[in-house]
Amino acid sequence: MSDATEKWPDTQVALVDLIDRVIGGGVVITGDVVLGIAGVDLVYLGLRLVLAPAHEVDQSIVLGRRSA
Amino acid sequence: MLLYAVVAADANAPETRGLHGHLLETIRGELAAIIVEECSERLSATSEESRAFAKIICDLATTISMLPIRFATMLPTRSAVLSELQANEATWRRRLAELDGLSEVVIRAQEAETDHEFGATPDGAGTTYLVNRAAVIRRQEASIAEITELVRPWSREIKVLPPQQAIRLACLVADADVPQLRDAVKTWQQTRSGRQAVVSGPWPVFSFVGDQEAVSG
Repeated sequence: MSDATEKWPDTQVALVDLIDRVIGGGVVITGDVVLGIAGVDLVYLGLRLVLAPAHEVDQSIVLGRRSA
Repeated sequence: MLLYAVVAADANAPETRGLHGHLLETIRGELAAIIVEECSERLSATSEESRAFAKIICDLATTISMLPIRFATMLPTRSAVLSELQANEATWRRRLAELDGLSEVVIRAQEAETDHEFGATPDGAGTTYLVNRAAVIRRQEASIAEITELVRPWSREIKVLPPQQAIRLACLVADADVPQLRDAVKTWQQTRSGRQAVVSGPWPVFSFVGDQEAVSG
């Protein structure tokens, strides 16, 4: 839809959108999510982690505060 | 175990290797199944891993009807996977049937180059900032309404995604209708100078695995 001279090259947008959906969409299972970043284990027993884009995490924190 | 997708109970994972190089397996319940990869290694959650995961999911979606599972969900044992399956399979089976033959496209649109800067002014005046910010939000809401109406004929469901400099809408579309939706958005883009619009996809139905919060198509 856009050519290379336009602001949003299609391939770049497609990759950004795909990765955003991979980590921000999809079925969320409330099991243990085991993640380690830079060799640091981020999981302890009972903790539930779901990887999500920062803007969605911020929103959920705000919503959580409102409902608290 | 790294989880990839929910599929029909009688579906078979194609002979594909996962992120850690192991063959994907299918763990079956009575009503649905989950495609997993046996692996004990931790994920480093790098952008390379998320890209590789995305590619595997997209490849799977070309051969099998599925609900993708969010990267990077891991469960420690088969019994834990089975337990999740048993708890959710009725809902997943219903949604799988509803989504059969449908894909997701994402529309990213912006009215003017300065929209994402929401009216920042050189003098930094607070009132000017707020007035400009309100104007940008009104323009964005108008664009969302306009695009929603534009793509409604081809969209079973529409979901407004959190903005990323531009407004973004995810549309659930029959595979055969994707070209028409693309053409409609392209025409919309060309009707006003300064408009930008890009349609990406079709992707697996990442934004529509649940049936909540969607705008009815």
